[in-house]
Amino acid sequence: MWWYVVKRLLQTIPVFLGATLIIFFLLKLRPGDPILNLAGNKPVSQEVRDALAAQYHLDDPLLLQWVHFVKNAVTLDFGNTFAGQPVFELIQQTFPVTVVLALMALAFDAILGIGLGTIAGLRRNGWFDSSMLVVSLILLSIPIFVVGFVMQLVFGVKLGWTTPTVGGDWNVGKLILPAIVLAIANFAYTLRLCRTSVAENLTADHVRTARAKGLPEGQVVVKHVLRNSLVPVITYIGINLGSLMAGAIITETIFNIPGVGNAAYQAIIRGETSTVVAIVTFMVMVYVFMSLIVDLLYAVLDPRIRYA
Amino acid sequence: MTETQGAQTPLLKIEDLSVAFRAGKEYLTAVDQANLTIYPGQTIAIVGESGSGKSTMAHAVIDLLPGSGQVTGGQILFEGTDIAKTGRDQILALRGSSIGLVPQDPMSNLNPLWKVGRQIKEALVANDVAHGADADRRVVELLEEAGLPDAERRARQYPHEFSGGMRQRALIAMGLAARPKLLIADEPTSALDVTVQKQILDHLDTLTDSLGVAVMLITHDLGLAAERADHLVVMYRGRVVESGPALEILQDPQHPYTQRLVSKAPSIASQRLSSVKARAEIRAQAVEHAAEVAAEVAGSGEEFGEGSNDILVVENLTKVFQLRGSKPWEKTDFTAVDDVSFGLQRGTTTAIVGESGSGKSTVARMVLDLLPITSGRVLFDGVDIKDLGSKKLQLRFRRQMQPVFQNPYASLDPLYSIYQSIEEPLRTHDVGTKKERETKVRDLLDKVSLPTTVMSRYPGELSGGQRQRVAIARALALDPEVVICDEAVSALDVLVQAQILELLNDLQAELGLSYLFITHDLAVVRQIADNVLVMQEGKVVEQASVNEVFDNPREAYTRKLLDAIPGGSIPLASS
Amino acid sequence: MPEPREGQERFVAPIDETPLRAIDAVDVDAVPENQWKEAWKRLRVSPLFWLAAAIITFIGVMIFFPTLFTSADPTRGSLDDSFAPARDGHPFGFTRQGYDLWARTVYGARASVAVGVLTAIFTALLGMITGAIAGYYGGIVDTLISRISDIFFSIPLLLACIVVISVINNTWPNRGFWGSVLVVVVALALFAWPQITRQMRGAVLEVKNLEFVDAATAIGATKMTNLRRHIVPNSLAPVIVATTITLGIFIVAESSLSFLGLGLPQNVVSWGNDLSDAQNQVRSGQHLQVMYLPAIALGMTVLGFILLGEAVREALDPKARKK
Repeated sequence: MWWYVVKRLLQTIPVFLGATLIIFFLLKLRPGDPILNLAGNKPVSQEVRDALAAQYHLDDPLLLQWVHFVKNAVTLDFGNTFAGQPVFELIQQTFPVTVVLALMALAFDAILGIGLGTIAGLRRNGWFDSSMLVVSLILLSIPIFVVGFVMQLVFGVKLGWTTPTVGGDWNVGKLILPAIVLAIANFAYTLRLCRTSVAENLTADHVRTARAKGLPEGQVVVKHVLRNSLVPVITYIGINLGSLMAGAIITETIFNIPGVGNAAYQAIIRGETSTVVAIVTFMVMVYVFMSLIVDLLYAVLDPRIRYA
Repeated sequence: MTETQGAQTPLLKIEDLSVAFRAGKEYLTAVDQANLTIYPGQTIAIVGESGSGKSTMAHAVIDLLPGSGQVTGGQILFEGTDIAKTGRDQILALRGSSIGLVPQDPMSNLNPLWKVGRQIKEALVANDVAHGADADRRVVELLEEAGLPDAERRARQYPHEFSGGMRQRALIAMGLAARPKLLIADEPTSALDVTVQKQILDHLDTLTDSLGVAVMLITHDLGLAAERADHLVVMYRGRVVESGPALEILQDPQHPYTQRLVSKAPSIASQRLSSVKARAEIRAQAVEHAAEVAAEVAGSGEEFGEGSNDILVVENLTKVFQLRGSKPWEKTDFTAVDDVSFGLQRGTTTAIVGESGSGKSTVARMVLDLLPITSGRVLFDGVDIKDLGSKKLQLRFRRQMQPVFQNPYASLDPLYSIYQSIEEPLRTHDVGTKKERETKVRDLLDKVSLPTTVMSRYPGELSGGQRQRVAIARALALDPEVVICDEAVSALDVLVQAQILELLNDLQAELGLSYLFITHDLAVVRQIADNVLVMQEGKVVEQASVNEVFDNPREAYTRKLLDAIPGGSIPLASS
Repeated sequence: MPEPREGQERFVAPIDETPLRAIDAVDVDAVPENQWKEAWKRLRVSPLFWLAAAIITFIGVMIFFPTLFTSADPTRGSLDDSFAPARDGHPFGFTRQGYDLWARTVYGARASVAVGVLTAIFTALLGMITGAIAGYYGGIVDTLISRISDIFFSIPLLLACIVVISVINNTWPNRGFWGSVLVVVVALALFAWPQITRQMRGAVLEVKNLEFVDAATAIGATKMTNLRRHIVPNSLAPVIVATTITLGIFIVAESSLSFLGLGLPQNVVSWGNDLSDAQNQVRSGQHLQVMYLPAIALGMTVLGFILLGEAVREALDPKARKK
């Protein structure tokens, strides 16, 4: 088991380095005066130039610059925004609400996706299954921001069940609607995956043997069908984190949530590419870390992986 | 003894049972008015090929038919009550505690995510036999009883850490856990090596005898059935075609289907002198034709090789695999084949027999040049296959030696029509015009007794035996001298197997082919081979002519293999 | 031998009731079919397939023959017509900038579908090649390709595109229609190819161990020939399914990018741009048709492709057959 853990950890490193290399490379692709870009496109004096050049190691060979970039990323030193605020501080301020939002979305995705998917799988080809198929296909087709708009309109404006936008003072209640929106596309896929997994496992040989032993059907379903079906589903939900983070940008923009995604969007509008890159790098780090956790969880769930 | 026997009431009596499956709008009958009786403590066997309905009937007894199946008629009387008509709860109560099941495939029938011990404990708890720590102890006892060594440690392991034999023992322990009165054993050892099979069945016999458990043994092997049971039920296409005392049926089969089985089943046929005589005749013809081919080869400058009688010579063949250890930098050497040497004469068949892990298939792959050799030499007609420098030479070599593989469902490209599959070798070697190739394909199909209409079909529509025949036709397309059959009949039903063996024999006699025949089934060897190599764990254990090996085995392992042939010990009335 | 007990006497079924069939006979009358023909048969009766075909055909007509649907020019309008209601020749009224809403919806199909289709093609090609090589040749090549694909896979698609396009925006600000499409396509394909690679590699790994590959080698085929003739054709099924499904996802992705201002430039007629413009309307709750129309058109198109992917998957997957 331990070797599996170490092996996974070791695999994470080149992935992380590779990702930062790509991002760094993109950053360096921008033409024009890097100093001007860093200074927010305002004219600067020679002294400021030299200072900035020294700070950002702009005279070093590219490879060295990348090493600095990685070092900075790992030590969470992302430089400053145009407004002069350390990007990391910005992230610190905005990260908590995004985390809460993502967790709520994950919970919604998992609970509803697994719940409904299981029922659909158990009653395969019944009316419930067919209607869930239709629902999930439709949900997969609608872009997230359309869903966001519609929900915001219906529940926020017309029905007034919740505030249409969240704003600076946020609480869990206000985040419910955005969380649902964020989770919707993933939930549709989770539901289908779970349904297929359950339906397949229902006809598995070992399930028939379990019945032959004299186990009541309820136990057979829970201990043998569900337990085996959940493995691919749970790993999928973990991987979902990536699309949740991307979706967060859009959802936070629509609902005006002061999260990391929104900060990234504001930076995009202002053309603060370095800030955008910094935030994205941070999100990638979080994602790589989370997928490592998910892989370890997978090993816990499936003993065959551990001993491979 | 006869009086007490007559006074007993049957434990299970199946009367006119019919089972059907729903496929779309139609109903397909799987079991048609079957009758069967089992008495307490008795072992009976149900024999049939795939599609005979034997497994379906067994599953119907405890209501384990898949969703689309249902009982459409008849009665299943267990201890007097018709359990085909009782409710869910009654069946539930019966399962495990009154009727146990030992299923067929040990790998897929154990839940891979639960520990083995826990799965057996479930059976105890569900049937209210024991709970908690008490149940844990009982589990270890049960595993020991089933013959599993180091039971306490094994109970805490997962199925994928067990070997096939161990898993089967665990399943036996699970089936007997709640001490049922009847045990349904569905082909409990088909997936296992022959020696392991014998061990496990012997053990099962002793166990069920001492516990007084009746056994319904389901098998496709007539010899095995006759060995283990007193009463036989032979099924064919859903119907019971013959039943009665085992020895009587074997010595005097009355129904044509049973007669077929008795005359063709390798384990029984191998005992007969007639099959020995038949083989000798084939060999004589084959050697004659082969000598003609050899003369041609020796005469022409173009053909590959010298035309000698020793068409294949293997010297000190060794294969070492490097396996990764549990730590990434660890590499262990695994010797799959260790210093194997043998020769194959033109027109004859040499069989390599061994159980799983013996290295026999690895030898075949090396001879075919599909796997690099670690050390040793393979000489084809005097030419060392390592010396095949140019592409042209390699192609010529390939023409002379062709394989037929084991799995009929994987040996043909599903996207190629039968015509394309057989034509491919001709195309690769640029033989003849399109018209000539078509003629050749027709000719080949004819040789393997397949109608030429099959040419435009695809593998998915053919049965296993038919696909093997196509594979043989493809192997013959380039007029090879040697055909390597790597477990070519192992995946086929008994009667189909016999058919293909006959075909191989006929082709050998007609074309003077030389065969290297790899198999795990010693019984088959007698019908097709002249010389035998017995392999165990990479080494050659015994090497002699077939008659010598069967009549005078020298090594203990060979004797063990012979002993383990199911039904080998049954006296037959006629020979 | 003891007397047989009751119920276990010798029994032989009457031969006329249990006739013997020839062993392993070939059914001469059946019609030949292979995997693709069978799949097509299943596809033909699938309601999902026909629904998908209908939608896609409809959208296709809209793309190639927009004048069948509207005679208005989606790029011409004046602010006087801002949010003007429906009138003759303009069935749904006007957008905020005074463009004909219906015309914009009809013409918007081109950009969105173009991005989706082109991206799907690029991704499929890239994924198939890398997946086949990684799966078949194994060893170092496989490790290298798998690690690189992991790296690209680990960066979430939308985020990556945001970065790439933000950067390119500085480099190449005035791109024109095809330039913008190219940028979006390349950005998406660059980070989406690992998905196809995985499918292809998995399929190749399974197929390469099948015995007909060995048989072909024994005939004298080289590795390359095997790859071409046997392995790739048998590995296509999962790739086809994955590509049809991701096509829909790419169309959505383009609209999401346009929504963030990073997709196609403002002057291009696309659903994403229209939806982006429509943002403000939602808050005010008025003139919602400027959002509904492009949204429905977009949703329907994506639904069409996703349905197609589902139908193809069911047709090609023998296990998914309904009993």
